[in-house]
Amino acid sequence: MNFPTIFSITEDEIDLNDLLARITLTSTGAAAIFAGMVRGETTRGDAHETEYLEYEAYIPMAEAKMKQVAEEIRAKWSVIEGIAIVQRIGKLYPKTPTVLIACTAAHRDTGVFEAARYGIDRLKEIVPIWKKEVSPNGEFWVEGDYIPKAGE
Amino acid sequence: MNRVKLLFFATLRDRAGTKSMELDIPSELTVQGLKDKISDEYPNLKESMSSVLITINREYAFDEAVIPLNAELAMFPPVSGG
Repeated sequence: MNFPTIFSITEDEIDLNDLLARITLTSTGAAAIFAGMVRGETTRGDAHETEYLEYEAYIPMAEAKMKQVAEEIRAKWSVIEGIAIVQRIGKLYPKTPTVLIACTAAHRDTGVFEAARYGIDRLKEIVPIWKKEVSPNGEFWVEGDYIPKAGE
Repeated sequence: MNRVKLLFFATLRDRAGTKSMELDIPSELTVQGLKDKISDEYPNLKESMSSVLITINREYAFDEAVIPLNAELAMFPPVSGG
């Protein structure tokens, strides 16, 4: 079977309908979609307001690592049909979708939810993308805490 | 000597004041050797070298790795996409 895999870094708006259509096969009956967006008001932990986020990526490596995440998903959940992994970069304001991970399968009880969850978790670990947070009080680069292991 | 390209992202780019540079390094230099060289030659970046991630030809690389000829290297903090 030739299942569709889409991975990209883009400055354009993320088009969910287009992506969903491209990962839907005649055998598909379920899609699990995770979307992340810019949160303007954070209440959990260190409460603060965000004016905008500015994303940058090491684009060729980021796309290669997205492809690797898709391969890891397929290795863990062989029933997954289509996979889309898209990160938007540039200056993005509150309520704007920034990232989308979608997985499709024949049925919802196939691990499709877990596959999408795994996709966003892995993106946040190994895909070289960074965001700078700009708030009324100043700006700073957000840094993750995951140190990749050999072979990742 | 080995001429390599070194890319910087996020905090490392801000501190380096540039997105990329060409660098002549000794052949057989390791990633740890590169960190030491950067610390010596670029004081602004010294503090970052303890926690920096380094890639060689777009794959994560570790301290013992030997840098191949004409490699594309990158230095950046732990990633924060999503």
